[in-house]
Amino acid sequence: MLAVDIVLTGLIIGGMYALTALGLTLQYGVARIMNLSYGEFLVAAALSAFSLYTGMTVSPLIGLFVVVPIAFALNWLIFKLLLMPLVRRAKNRDVLEVDSILATFGLLFVIQGVALVIFGGQYFSYSYLSIPVSVLGSALAVNRLVALAFAAVIGLGIYLALTRTRAGTAIRAVAVDPVSAQLVAIDVKRASAFAYALGGALVAAGGVLVSMFLTFHASMGVEFTMKALIVVIMGGVGNVLGALVAGLLLGIGETAVARLIDPGLTLAATYALFLAALLIRPTGLFGRSTR
Amino acid sequence: MNRQWTWACGAVGALIVFALVPLLANSYYLALGVSLLYFAVLATAWALFSGSTHYISLATVAFFGIGAYTVGVLGEVLPWPLVLLVAGTVGVTLALVVGLSTLRLSGIYFVIFSFGLSELIRQLVTWYEVNIHKSVGRYIFIDITQAQIYWQLLALTALVLLTGWLINRSRLGLALRVIGQDEVVARHAGIDITKAKLVMFAVSALFMTLTGAVMAPRWTYIDPAIAFNPMLSFEVVIMALFGGAGVLFGPILGVIPFVLLFELLSANFPNYFSILLGLVFMVIVYALPHGVIGLLQRRMPQAPPVATMPQPFAMAAKGAALEVRNLRKAFGGLVAVQDLSFAAAPGEIVGLIGPNGSGKTTVLNLISGALPADAGDIRCDGRAIAGLGTHRIARLGIARTFQLVRVLESMTAVDNVRAALAFRGRPIWGVGAEAVARGLLARVGLTDKADQIASQFTYIDQKRLELARALALEPRVLLLDEWLAGLNRTELNDGIALIRSLREAGLTVILVEHVMDAIRSLCDHCVVMNAGVKIADGPPAAVLADRDVIRAYLGEADA
Repeated sequence: MLAVDIVLTGLIIGGMYALTALGLTLQYGVARIMNLSYGEFLVAAALSAFSLYTGMTVSPLIGLFVVVPIAFALNWLIFKLLLMPLVRRAKNRDVLEVDSILATFGLLFVIQGVALVIFGGQYFSYSYLSIPVSVLGSALAVNRLVALAFAAVIGLGIYLALTRTRAGTAIRAVAVDPVSAQLVAIDVKRASAFAYALGGALVAAGGVLVSMFLTFHASMGVEFTMKALIVVIMGGVGNVLGALVAGLLLGIGETAVARLIDPGLTLAATYALFLAALLIRPTGLFGRSTR
Repeated sequence: MNRQWTWACGAVGALIVFALVPLLANSYYLALGVSLLYFAVLATAWALFSGSTHYISLATVAFFGIGAYTVGVLGEVLPWPLVLLVAGTVGVTLALVVGLSTLRLSGIYFVIFSFGLSELIRQLVTWYEVNIHKSVGRYIFIDITQAQIYWQLLALTALVLLTGWLINRSRLGLALRVIGQDEVVARHAGIDITKAKLVMFAVSALFMTLTGAVMAPRWTYIDPAIAFNPMLSFEVVIMALFGGAGVLFGPILGVIPFVLLFELLSANFPNYFSILLGLVFMVIVYALPHGVIGLLQRRMPQAPPVATMPQPFAMAAKGAALEVRNLRKAFGGLVAVQDLSFAAAPGEIVGLIGPNGSGKTTVLNLISGALPADAGDIRCDGRAIAGLGTHRIARLGIARTFQLVRVLESMTAVDNVRAALAFRGRPIWGVGAEAVARGLLARVGLTDKADQIASQFTYIDQKRLELARALALEPRVLLLDEWLAGLNRTELNDGIALIRSLREAGLTVILVEHVMDAIRSLCDHCVVMNAGVKIADGPPAAVLADRDVIRAYLGEADA
């Protein structure tokens, strides 16, 4: 039953990757901000969920409704106050990319530093719905299944919102071409701010869900940033479906390596997979031929 | 020559002064000196590659760590110079392998990859140590004093600066600056961009690896988390960018304040180190986008341009001809060029015309190698060029301008032209190049603006500059993509006269154009395309009266 085990565990982890990557692809593909502090927001949300659960016995599923709106507002403010000046200053997209990498890199240290001061460097985990159930003959904790279900609902909701609503269409238009989008009366700055904030909300949701079954610590944000980036790039920037497939692939690949070879080599496997994908298709699995 | 000697003496003097530091300073200041020097080497080496090409590499620590680990493994087995040699070889080999496979990734892809590379290597080393070597860390007992480390780092600093200085003056340096501005232009100027980037990546990696090797004995104990600490890559980037990565001494200007700041923060606020570091970093990004060196340069007046005598215009004699046979290119289901054949005799101006979307620019892209053809044959002077790299086609004598003007914006007009001179089939480099470049600029009417930065040029002047750069390749065939579009009446007449004079100099010109007056007065014959297919070929007056041509341009009713 090892194969089923690997696929199921891989799907759950992969679903989390896909969800967080969805947020990053909104921030990078629409708002054009390469956010290196992305994973810090995931860790911050996980730590918040932990505090809510252990301090006030608020279930993480309720916590979701507290943490996510706060994350949305916070990210909207960050975009308006910190990143808008860079957008205005940038002569072209490359300059903005470099500037945003550098600025959010600074932000990464600030957030991480604050988290370390408040929570210290130790590992955190809490036990919530950790009741084992048997799925197709392999034992899984309920919290993982709940997390996966929530991720699927959130992801599907975002997908429908992007493809079926006016605001979603505007966001997709900005992702394709911010200059032309203005010509059809789309407020690009507003759409960018909204997409950035929405990305922040998604990663916070990912953080809360992940905290239910993973052990985490204050300085592991970079790891999530890297994985989200890899998924985004593999799936093709701005491609929702691509992010989903790439996320699931990554989750399964990683779990397979961890179970079959050595848990210490998961990151190596991730990068090998990433490299292979990039070398075969430099614009991602489902990417367009030009950026 | 005198100036150079002054500089050389100054450099040697400074080296001697710095070399005396260990004899005078106490161990605290010596340790500070070691920190300063090791970041100086790393930041300068980083900027050698990233400063000019604008490829932000976060792989510094990958090479640094490899250097350190080589010492960990071989330090007690081999004599010290051999250890350094092995470390350098391993670093350069890795850089070449990695570079070959990844330097075609650009922008963010490269950033992420380079960061991933160090993590990947760290995991592999950890895995090897745990499973094969059966212990995570290694002790390094090598009898090297702090002062000896200092001296080695000082030597590396001097070497990396010397290397950078030499490269800046070489053709490679110019090639990298052009690549940093616009890779497409670089290819069309005859630059082999893969080779240039690869060489520079390897040189930069060599210095990083050696720094890691030299620093290793200072720790006495290393494990992968120490040797491959990703913070190092970031710190190096911050320092280099803060100082100014585009200039040789820029990174060092960033290293000094940062090393002192790190020292201050970690001594006084150990708990808030990362918060303060992040804040300082953000302040730099917002307040100093061009680094310290940018601030200094804005304050300093620009050096006056060096006056040189324009040289008479030298053009390839004759024998230039282009032949295209059964050319085909499809983008998915859209066939942009279908079975196209035409020829241009030496010294002929051939108009390539047709409605928008008929495939004209695609044909130029196929000829210049910017796009690969699906089928067909392209010959320049009887030599098959289809399938060759863009830079090789450029060197064989096919030059082009772009429909949307592409100049190297932050370079002067002279440097724009020199880039093409340096990499053409018979390169001109060094003292003569500037005079030839000025001659070419005079030829297109830019004598007075030769030392201006290209981004300040008006549209027509940018077009002129682009033409001068194309001519600098000493082309046999010149591809002009709507070069006359958007000009006013006077400029148009100047432009037509200029193109005519090119023909008189023996050049073959392929003219993609919508300005019918120009086509009538310039072209010897015209190829008319519609929807990817050739619908007419003949003298301008005849093809422009052709029913099919009129239908293609104006629709059925007017035919």
